[in-house]
Amino acid sequence: MIPRSLQIAIALLLLVALGMGLYLLGLKRREEQRARAALDNRPVSAPVAGSPSHVVLFVADDAQGVLRQRDASIALPAEPAQRAHEILHALLGEYTKRPSTHELAAGADVQEVFVLNNGIAVVDMTAPFADAHRSGIFVETLTVASLVETLAANVPGVTRVKILVEGKERETLAGHADLTTFYDVSSVDQLVKQLP
Amino acid sequence: MRSSRRARARGLAPLLPGFCLLLLLTNAPSAEEKQIAIFAPQVSYTLPVVQRSGQDYVGLLEALEPLGAVSAKTEGRKWKLRFRDREAEFHEGKHEGRVRGRKVELGSRLLLENNRGLLPLRALPALIGRFLDLPVEFHEPGRRLFVGDAGTHFTAELHENALALNFSAPVNPTVSTEPGKLQMVFIRDPMRAAVQTLHFNSPLVSAVSLTEDNGRAALTVYGPVPLLATFANGGRTINLVAAPSQAAQAPPPQPPAQAAGTPPAGASAQAPPAPVVPALPGKPPFMVMVDASHGGEESGAVLADKLLEKDVTLGLARRLRLELLNRGIVTAMSRDSDLTLTAEQRAAMANSSRVAVFITVHAASQGTGVRLYTSLLPPAETPPGPFLPWDTAQSAFLGASRVVTDAIKSELDKREVPARELMAAVRPLNNIAAVAIAVEVAPASADLGSLTANNYQQAIASAVAEAVAATRGRVEAAL
Repeated sequence: MIPRSLQIAIALLLLVALGMGLYLLGLKRREEQRARAALDNRPVSAPVAGSPSHVVLFVADDAQGVLRQRDASIALPAEPAQRAHEILHALLGEYTKRPSTHELAAGADVQEVFVLNNGIAVVDMTAPFADAHRSGIFVETLTVASLVETLAANVPGVTRVKILVEGKERETLAGHADLTTFYDVSSVDQLVKQLP
Repeated sequence: MRSSRRARARGLAPLLPGFCLLLLLTNAPSAEEKQIAIFAPQVSYTLPVVQRSGQDYVGLLEALEPLGAVSAKTEGRKWKLRFRDREAEFHEGKHEGRVRGRKVELGSRLLLENNRGLLPLRALPALIGRFLDLPVEFHEPGRRLFVGDAGTHFTAELHENALALNFSAPVNPTVSTEPGKLQMVFIRDPMRAAVQTLHFNSPLVSAVSLTEDNGRAALTVYGPVPLLATFANGGRTINLVAAPSQAAQAPPPQPPAQAAGTPPAGASAQAPPAPVVPALPGKPPFMVMVDASHGGEESGAVLADKLLEKDVTLGLARRLRLELLNRGIVTAMSRDSDLTLTAEQRAAMANSSRVAVFITVHAASQGTGVRLYTSLLPPAETPPGPFLPWDTAQSAFLGASRVVTDAIKSELDKREVPARELMAAVRPLNNIAAVAIAVEVAPASADLGSLTANNYQQAIASAVAEAVAATRGRVEAAL
């Protein structure tokens, strides 16, 4: 007759061995996936092809409290949504480089842009764009106005812009600028006129 | 084996609806949160009441904050508090503490949660009295606490076809009607009465009763006919008349009836009746709501190491309220302590109170001077109807909002405070059915400390209040 205490000890040891085995199996699978991903050299998105085009960027300047119109030349694809994506990517590049007139955190970028037939453009931003944005009505409004004006200036027919973050609607950008609303391009034009 | 498992599952099946019901009940919205209302001579505010070990507790720091400068620090299990120049010391878990060197009984143990001292609710009146050196009256069942001579009294006068309720200060209740009664709920007004119910022998009104519950006072008027409440005399008088459809059927005028009950506290038989100015039905008194943005869990911008936007906005909002009150303008605040409020709650508060002007106060570390914002919505092309869409309610009032911002800028210019007028999509401006402005205060100079400087904040508060007073007539005409 095996003593009861020994039975319990053996059962516990078996359980531990089973747990360790499962853990090792998980580790092995994870490592295999990582190795496969490292070997995968396929591009995540199609490379931008096309001749350099002239675009207009509305770049925010915190110190002067204005949006400055700046001409740029960038390679653009033919498809409107991809063009809009590249233009906004260039604009955000102005803000993530150092020094910048309107600093945004590293990683602040545009994920996707959808241009709909009814004049609505939906811009999906990365999480750092909103998560690390400085808080304040003015500074947040400058960011939003810069995005909306740049889109409207370069993508004909855009009349309203909706900003999402990581594919989801947010209440505000960083506590102030309303992101639940659609930004009307004509209203933002009026706002920009108020900035000297 | 398998069949026995199935049998067991079948046995559990009848329990499933019960389990689902339990799940639904546990996820159902909780009952209204408990709160206490504190009415001091200069300020009225509410605080959440929390339950610990079956007892009501309240944050002492939050209770004292609106009454003056207060700070606290924790040293181990010791909690030290300084209110103005008065010191107090408490120990976590102890039933007593010391305030200004004297022992005070708390009735139950003091709790420390996240360096916040939670005090048994019953001990609050004695402690506030000790800190302020003022008499304190606590209406425990209704959780309403009156400090010093704070209190609005009323008298009831029965006229031929109306009951006039005259208040000692402007009031702003939420009015609702049900068959057989009209109820006025006072949230921020320190309504008090020694006698709870007045009886009348009138075809219009049979009784007026004051009740208190969860920090609020409710004045209920009972009568056989539907009643209509109209405000007059700058919010100091509420006239109750038969609703229009009933007025034609109302009995012929009779001599004024004698109130059968004892007059309420503050009633003065000798004093002449307060003047009753006829008011347009439904036209509310001119009232401003000052909204200290952010608050509670939502601190807004971190302006400096220990300077949060929510604290700066609350200080500035209180200053602005005082300036408005000094100019005879009825003023309410959306929050008067460190409370979390959503944009929707702020808008609902303003719209249900039917304010004429809503001013939301913000603070920022970028730039200098004051930025005045109106909504980014396009102006309405047609006059507003009786119902307004929630998302674009402000459209109809944009013209009036810009009149007031122009006036504020002009007043700020006079005081040599740099100011800009802009548009922005800031919540809840779009949802306000009245004049709505956001005031964002940035430092006066490159020095961030100027943001909280007394003379700077005072100049801004007085400029805003002066502009609101100056444009009052135009705003009233526009609304």
